Amino acid sequence: MKANRLLTITTTLLLAACGGGGGSSPPPEPPPPPPPPVTKVEAYQLLNQATFGATEEEAQLVISMRQENWIEDQMRQPVSRQLQHLQSVPPPQFPFELHQDRVDIWFRNALHGEDQLRQRVAFALSEIMVVSQLGALGNLPFAVADYYDMLAENAFGNYRELLGEVTLHPAMGVYLSMLGNEKPNPALNIRPDENYAREVMQLFSIGLVELNIDGTEKLDSFGEPIPTYDQSIIEGFAHVFTGWTWAGAQTFHPNEFLLPQASQFFPMELWEEYHDTGEKKLLNGVVLPAGQGGAQDLEQALDNIFNHPNVGPFIAIRLIQRLVTSNPSPGYVRRVAQVFNNNGSGVRGDLRSVVRAILLDPEARPSMAMEIDGKLKEPLLRLTQLWRAYDATSASGRYPFGFAYVLLGQGPLQSPSVFNFFSPFHAPPGEIRDSSLVAPELELATEYLNTLLTNFMFYQVFGLNQTNAELEEDDVFIDIAEEIAVAADSDALIDMVAGKLLGGVISDTLREEIVGMLARVPVTESALRAAEAIYFVVTSPEYAYQR
Amino acid sequence: MKTLNRRDFLRTSGAAALLATTPGLAYSQVVGGAGPFDDYRALVCVFLFGGNDSFNMLVPNTTAEYSAYAASRQNLAILQSDLLPITPLSAGTPDFGLHPSMGGVRDLFDAGSAAFVTNVGPLITPTTKEQFLSGSATLPPQLFSHNDQQDQWSSLRGNAQSKTGWAGRMADLIRGGVSGQQMATNASLFGSNLFQSADETVAYVMGPNGPLQFEGFSTNPDDILFEQRAAFRRVVEAEYGTIYERGFAEVQRRAIDAADTVSGAIENARQAAPAFTTPFPASQLGTQLETVAYLIAARDELEMQRQVFFVATGGFDTHDNQLQDQPGLLGGISEAIAAFYSATADLGVAENITTFTQSDFGRTLTSNGDGTDHAWGGNQLVVGGAVNGRELYGQYPLLAIDGPEDVTGGRMIPSTSADQYAATLAKWFGIPDTELDIVAPDLSNFAQRDLGFMIA
Repeated sequence: MKANRLLTITTTLLLAACGGGGGSSPPPEPPPPPPPPVTKVEAYQLLNQATFGATEEEAQLVISMRQENWIEDQMRQPVSRQLQHLQSVPPPQFPFELHQDRVDIWFRNALHGEDQLRQRVAFALSEIMVVSQLGALGNLPFAVADYYDMLAENAFGNYRELLGEVTLHPAMGVYLSMLGNEKPNPALNIRPDENYAREVMQLFSIGLVELNIDGTEKLDSFGEPIPTYDQSIIEGFAHVFTGWTWAGAQTFHPNEFLLPQASQFFPMELWEEYHDTGEKKLLNGVVLPAGQGGAQDLEQALDNIFNHPNVGPFIAIRLIQRLVTSNPSPGYVRRVAQVFNNNGSGVRGDLRSVVRAILLDPEARPSMAMEIDGKLKEPLLRLTQLWRAYDATSASGRYPFGFAYVLLGQGPLQSPSVFNFFSPFHAPPGEIRDSSLVAPELELATEYLNTLLTNFMFYQVFGLNQTNAELEEDDVFIDIAEEIAVAADSDALIDMVAGKLLGGVISDTLREEIVGMLARVPVTESALRAAEAIYFVVTSPEYAYQR
Repeated sequence: MKTLNRRDFLRTSGAAALLATTPGLAYSQVVGGAGPFDDYRALVCVFLFGGNDSFNMLVPNTTAEYSAYAASRQNLAILQSDLLPITPLSAGTPDFGLHPSMGGVRDLFDAGSAAFVTNVGPLITPTTKEQFLSGSATLPPQLFSHNDQQDQWSSLRGNAQSKTGWAGRMADLIRGGVSGQQMATNASLFGSNLFQSADETVAYVMGPNGPLQFEGFSTNPDDILFEQRAAFRRVVEAEYGTIYERGFAEVQRRAIDAADTVSGAIENARQAAPAFTTPFPASQLGTQLETVAYLIAARDELEMQRQVFFVATGGFDTHDNQLQDQPGLLGGISEAIAAFYSATADLGVAENITTFTQSDFGRTLTSNGDGTDHAWGGNQLVVGGAVNGRELYGQYPLLAIDGPEDVTGGRMIPSTSADQYAATLAKWFGIPDTELDIVAPDLSNFAQRDLGFMIA
């Protein structure tokens, strides 16, 4: 990570230059100078990291409150939930149809929820501790909705509790087949299912190799990475995770279609007779003794994971990548991991402090942006930012995007597998790979998916706006009235669009090309001119980039 | 979606491109030794995501071996009477059977157009059970993990950092010989992937139905949408200050170029090609393979000589409900691959196309009650007119718990390496023997450089 180290050095120098100069004379302490006012660019930077898209209205709040207070205020907002919405709509003929309503309420919360930061962190967690409606959860929409609510509720809680609730949530139980997992039956060559045991370690907590606190890999004396676990430890955890099934089930393997709805969102329940009572090998040489009950085994095993030194840097990297930048410096990771390890009050795993540390770190608001700072916006975030900036809604109030994963290449809890839509290690060929850097979201930016979204934006901006007299009740349309009002003046129009979507910063190239196109559209065609400007901005590389 | 409000702006252009460049050949001038070629050949990789339980796909049918299988597999075993027996030429007797859902593949096998490579998987060197258990073997890291073993199949870089895939390296090696191609050698219909990732060339990623056209662009210079296209292109050609914008802009540039070239060619092919005699199933895999068939039909217009297509389907991670799900999974690939082979015959290129499977890993012989877990070696299917078919290659293991190949829980140590499998395909593709070690870096650790399943 050459460039990362460079960045660390630069940051250090900057800090030294700012805070260094220790003087020798003691005289009276001058009052600390008031901090410089928060700029709109800085407000947009925070909001694109911490919400589903910056808006000028929210930016004004950040400017008046300052970042720290805005974050605290956000953390106090009540949780916007999904489950009760699913319970409020008329039951469809087939359960899977409710996933449409689940995605609808996801968009409503993402666009209009007052708890933007919580929802954004929940979204990040939903891409780390992944379940997906595609697969065994297709007929269990209540479970999937409640899983997301659980992530939102725990977004500023403790990671250990989050891990416990993820583990016993029936959505995860079904998705990674811990639900119904039984103790061994050697006569039939049956041994416990290893699915959850493997992925909870690889993807949700510690990863494959031992990490230093700054997220770099520990190396052995041969210079090789050190595996965090082997097959025997996976088998140990697989035995721990035996004996759990649906809440309220009459048998250990009930027919899921005959279960009450509440089974989809109550934590799984333990049936001791299906739990393995042998010894279990865990991480770092810990062995659970034989003869323990299933609940005790589970608590101790999750504590064993939680206390592994990897969790801090592992979760720090994952959350920084989802919120702020694809390539955090080791120093950034270390600062956040240290907060994970101890929030200052001796508490390990306090996500409230971790999120705060991520968003307020100097590297999240670099005074001098470097070429590896920031990240690419994933398709859903490119869309929600446009929709928030232009008050997108439909006459019905619905966002009928149950097939978001097809239409946009990405949808909430619609990943193709537990490995999410993109890998945290994705490094496209060329300068990114050559510099040992990563750009996870670029894995979704294929020729195909980029074109899909570019075309989606085209129809959205030119066709589905409030000037269209033929909108149907479920058509989600944007409101471009303010742009239409100034559309005759190309510069004013571009300034307005750039102000809303780019925080006021637009490249000369993009401005020139929009001016050039507007020169071809008569001033009387004000809606068309407005759409032209918005279209060029929302399909541009600078909009796709989150600074 | 309703009628749109500015008809002029919403017209789309179906015209072929005039400004086409060669998408995908972007980075440097480094060229390997292969080519030029005087024929057309394509490899089609069918990736089965999740880890195909291929010991239920290809099952021993002799008494002792079936008994060992049945004893290991217990409630997940396929009944011997349900198997579709197949008779390898070298055996002369129906020593093996296919999963009952795989009638299409059985017919291809019987006709000599399909072969299996058995118990193949990622290896660094030949590995025995003793070496594995004593820890003395050099092993690929993170065995039995989905993404790691997918990466190992794709990259063949056992314990090195995997940055390029073996199809990507093939494309790099032949790029000097195929510089006239109008499309990148590697094309994916299932997203970006390590298999086709390269240092010098870029795989082109299209959708399951082929490339998408950009709405609102025209290639007609009299149309304002021609200007829109040009302006859009200048925006993505501008210089950007971050690696993320540059990476994004580069994909947009390739997308604009390829959408015109490839869409036009595929549309012409769809109109010109004969109706295929075997309809493609309306599945994810069937749709992708049908598109590949039309891309192959468009090979002359696109001036293609060598292509590697990546198609895929998922759902093979059968931790649960294996018995219920396997007929659909295995039947699905059988039907789609049989239709694809038939289409290549319709196009008169059956000998020029080789289809082969890859998958994360084989699965445990033991069960977890109603499914199986991650393991290592497995069986792969190769189909095409250039395949030395109706044969099994490699060593089919004894499917016994604690048997000679079982490293615990019924996980089979591969007896053939994925490097050997890939090298055999690469050699047919036209990679000279001296460069096969670039494609398959650990090939020299194995005695047999060519498994013999391709007609030379």
